Amino acid sequence: MDFDAIVVGGGHAGIEAGLALARLNYSTLFITQSLDTIGRLSCNPAVGGLSKGNIVREVDALGGEMARLIDGSMIQFRILNRSRGPAVQSPRAQADKNLYSKLAKMTLEKQDNLQLFQDTVVDILEDSTGHKCEGVVTERGRIFRSRVVVLTTGTFMEGRIFIGAFNQSSGRLGEPAAVGLGTALRQKGYTLGRLKTGTPARVKKSSLDFSQMEEQPGDELMQPFSFFREKSDRPQLSCHITYTNKKTHDIIRAHMHESPLYGGEIVGTGPRYCPSIEDKVVRFPDRERHQVFVEPEGLDTEEMYLNGISSSLPEIVQEEFLRTLPGLANLEIMRPGYAVEYDYIDPMQLLPSLESKRHEGLFMAGQTNGTSGYEEAAAQGLMAGINAAMKLQGKAPLVLSRAEAYTGVLIDDLVTLGTKEPYRMFTSRAEYRLSLRHDDADQRLFPYAEQLGLATEQMEDLFHKKKNGLEEIKELLRQRRVSGCYLRKHENLIPHEGKNCYMALKDPHVNLSHMDEAVPELENYPPAWLDHVELDVKYEGYVARQERQVARFKKMENILIPEGFDYSAAEGISMESREKMKTIQPRSVGQASRISGVRSSDIAVLTVLLNQGRNRSINNADK
Amino acid sequence: MNHEIYDPDDMIAALATPWAESAIAVIRVSGAGSIEAVDALFSGSVKLAGAEARKLTLGVIRNPETEEALDEVMAVPFKSPVSYTGQDGLELYCHGSLPGLQKILNLLFQSGFRQASPGEFTFRAFVNGKMDLTRAEAVQEIISAKSGKAQSMALSRLSGAVESRINTMKSNALGIAAAFEIQLDYPEDEVETPETPMGELLQIKEGLTELIASYQVGRIYQEGVVVALAGRTNAGKSSLFNLFLKEDRSIVSDIHGTTRDFLESWISLSGIPVRLYDTAGLRKSDDPIEEEGIRRTRQVLKNSHVILYLLDGEAGLSEDDEAVLARADNKRVVVWNKADIASQPCPEGAVPVSAVSGKGFQELEKVLKDKIFHDSSTTQDGPVIDSLRQKNLLERALYGVDKVIEGIHNGLPVDILAMDLSEVLQALGEITGEVSSSDIMEQMFSKFCVGK
Repeated sequence: MDFDAIVVGGGHAGIEAGLALARLNYSTLFITQSLDTIGRLSCNPAVGGLSKGNIVREVDALGGEMARLIDGSMIQFRILNRSRGPAVQSPRAQADKNLYSKLAKMTLEKQDNLQLFQDTVVDILEDSTGHKCEGVVTERGRIFRSRVVVLTTGTFMEGRIFIGAFNQSSGRLGEPAAVGLGTALRQKGYTLGRLKTGTPARVKKSSLDFSQMEEQPGDELMQPFSFFREKSDRPQLSCHITYTNKKTHDIIRAHMHESPLYGGEIVGTGPRYCPSIEDKVVRFPDRERHQVFVEPEGLDTEEMYLNGISSSLPEIVQEEFLRTLPGLANLEIMRPGYAVEYDYIDPMQLLPSLESKRHEGLFMAGQTNGTSGYEEAAAQGLMAGINAAMKLQGKAPLVLSRAEAYTGVLIDDLVTLGTKEPYRMFTSRAEYRLSLRHDDADQRLFPYAEQLGLATEQMEDLFHKKKNGLEEIKELLRQRRVSGCYLRKHENLIPHEGKNCYMALKDPHVNLSHMDEAVPELENYPPAWLDHVELDVKYEGYVARQERQVARFKKMENILIPEGFDYSAAEGISMESREKMKTIQPRSVGQASRISGVRSSDIAVLTVLLNQGRNRSINNADK
Repeated sequence: MNHEIYDPDDMIAALATPWAESAIAVIRVSGAGSIEAVDALFSGSVKLAGAEARKLTLGVIRNPETEEALDEVMAVPFKSPVSYTGQDGLELYCHGSLPGLQKILNLLFQSGFRQASPGEFTFRAFVNGKMDLTRAEAVQEIISAKSGKAQSMALSRLSGAVESRINTMKSNALGIAAAFEIQLDYPEDEVETPETPMGELLQIKEGLTELIASYQVGRIYQEGVVVALAGRTNAGKSSLFNLFLKEDRSIVSDIHGTTRDFLESWISLSGIPVRLYDTAGLRKSDDPIEEEGIRRTRQVLKNSHVILYLLDGEAGLSEDDEAVLARADNKRVVVWNKADIASQPCPEGAVPVSAVSGKGFQELEKVLKDKIFHDSSTTQDGPVIDSLRQKNLLERALYGVDKVIEGIHNGLPVDILAMDLSEVLQALGEITGEVSSSDIMEQMFSKFCVGK
């Protein structure tokens, strides 16, 4: 073997997979089409957002890199949805795109055991049985052998971009697609589909009039995504908001026939949650205006990103309708918006470890699996890297459950239900979201990083320091009582006179800032820890309620189905469900129950059968 | 969304004997803690928790909140693993009055028990190794057959009116869920905060309250049903009336009245109290007394829930019969009497019976029962529900709606409200079919223009 592992693709999934393998001491070859485009933010210049920010912090807690990269390159930071409850707030940062990319490449270059190489992979190597992957073949005819391969090809697999009547084989504007790999995988029996996504125009900053737009500054306090970085001190830039109007919509309508989306050239399914401006105008004809966010792409570039107005109309038309927006009358387009269509692998062909069911040793992660978003890609890349390493160690894979991480929800949804549109994480996809807050991702997941060997000593120190700190704060709150002398300053405390501060904090009208006199020590702790404790205390009762559901859920997750379980003999299960279970190969009764169309009676019978097997083996052991 | 699955550990309860009026009925409960839970509702000579297993204890089931005594029962505790399910459990031997049983079951459901799913006791017995392995196949059949039957029963039991009512509430709740979830999925600055849907919530609350109040079985069993025999003279009404009285061994009251206007008697039809009227023949008459009888007959017919309209099979259809049948009446069951000596074939839709020989009577009873349960004429107006399961689920939904409303008043954040609302959707979904998170997203993306 030339290497222990090969990672194909230099995007957000590839970065995490490569680093995880190398950090676990496996010699890893990192192949990418271009070393100049590692860790590109191909679409919006931002990382995080609702539920996505949680994912970034999960990646961090598990020993991944994404949080550190954005911490080192952010140019604006905000916590979103503070007012809407503990489960839904999440951090988002605007990124300096070039800096992000540069940091990513530097991190990979500095990593031991990791060899970077520029080439395009066109096929995978099979062993003589055809059921095992042993390496890759490149466009220039090189053959590299390895024990495991992680494919993270993103939108490049058979990618094609569209701008009006123009279309071209490309992964990103100006960069060639990876041609051949999709076809090779189809020939090997994989089911592939086509998806579509789009991106808006990039425009020159000095051609815009910001006085006609609303300014949208970042939070005063910039906080790091990484649990292992105490402060963030990056420069902050503002974003701006402007709106489309009737004129904009009229122009778009008049040119609708020139859109490849409506002309039938594009066959792939686009995301409903992130429609192009053409889609918005068609689907919501009554809306008088749509919001557009003008976002900087970096500190040392003139390029600005027009978020919310992605389009694949002809370039001339794009310029015409964009100029109708306040502040954009004199705009200069630097890169036009476009749609991109690409191959994805039906993720139901993967195990929950992200290993292919068809080829042992072949892992797939990222947009290749039908997801969209940098964060979703990074989380899969990390899990694929970790599980490829587990494979090399001969250990059981790490499968996170839906009750412990958004990453668990993401992968479970993909391998159990598949996807027909680019899959994006949403808070509402997580049943147990009260227990999946962004600020407690380290409490949930860092123990795994420790077990795996992805935690450094410095990370461990910081983790335990915070853990103890949170306990200290709670203890202080339990000890101190709300006494009469605080009430004059904080009327909200009046109903709680005599109670301890911990109990008083459960009142929706009371918050930690009211405790400044009762517990003056609070100001010695980092604000993020105080927020953490406040949410813990306030929602304790609701979390406890959810915990009962979680306990029930876990019971079903813990009934494992042995590999190679014979469904054809399970006559009590309906034929349709049996076929589905055979294809999906659920690892637990819980997962089986989430397959679409499977009924509760099927699950009851399955449980009975599994129990029967267990009884039988116990009986055999007796003999 | 959460899938309804058999959980082998929580506390379940169900009536083990058929849902019918009887001398004794048995309620079975199972699950860790179930003996203690029943103990809290039971006052007898000894505490059940300390009582000897598999021995009868006499006591009273009492609602601890209202102090109301519901029934005097015999309780038998079973200790794990020596029980049918292998878990701690109890059997309660109660009096077989349906309203009484319903009260006991409701009390159990309020005290932490869940209605057992079809085949669930057997399922537990198997999971806990209480069943011979060779019986595995049989158990599978039982589980799938029972669930299948329960599903088809549940479907056939849901009348169109109820289904459309529940579906309306469900889609309203789905709309509210979408409005909540959009706030969880998109930040404040991208999607404006939708208005608090208090009006819709109150509407759902009202709808649920109404449906729960319409719970028909309870009402039918408590208040009884009025059934009248009608038809021209000599059609055999009196014979059929007598047959009802003779076949039914639980006559509640004696016959009174005169044949000139009507005869009235209480009978019990599979436990449903029925007030049965034998009316005077409907025909034109100059006799003022008979005229008065006919007037009274019309009054009885007007007030009855079901009319058994008898045709004389021997004589065939008269002009009067044809005139009556030509008028649509959804509370009418047409009976083709004297079917054994009929001169012509039984008309379509009529039930052939011989009141003299009793042939066809069982079928008639069945048709009558179906009519009672499915016909809206047994209640004043609006759709009604008729299964305890539906009622329990609607109550669960109502509880969730109340929590959401209360939460809004207390200023709870939307992610907590969404949690309570999802319980409403789940409960309604269990009645008419599952609501998945993709349904909510569908709503979300069609209602709100999103995407930065």
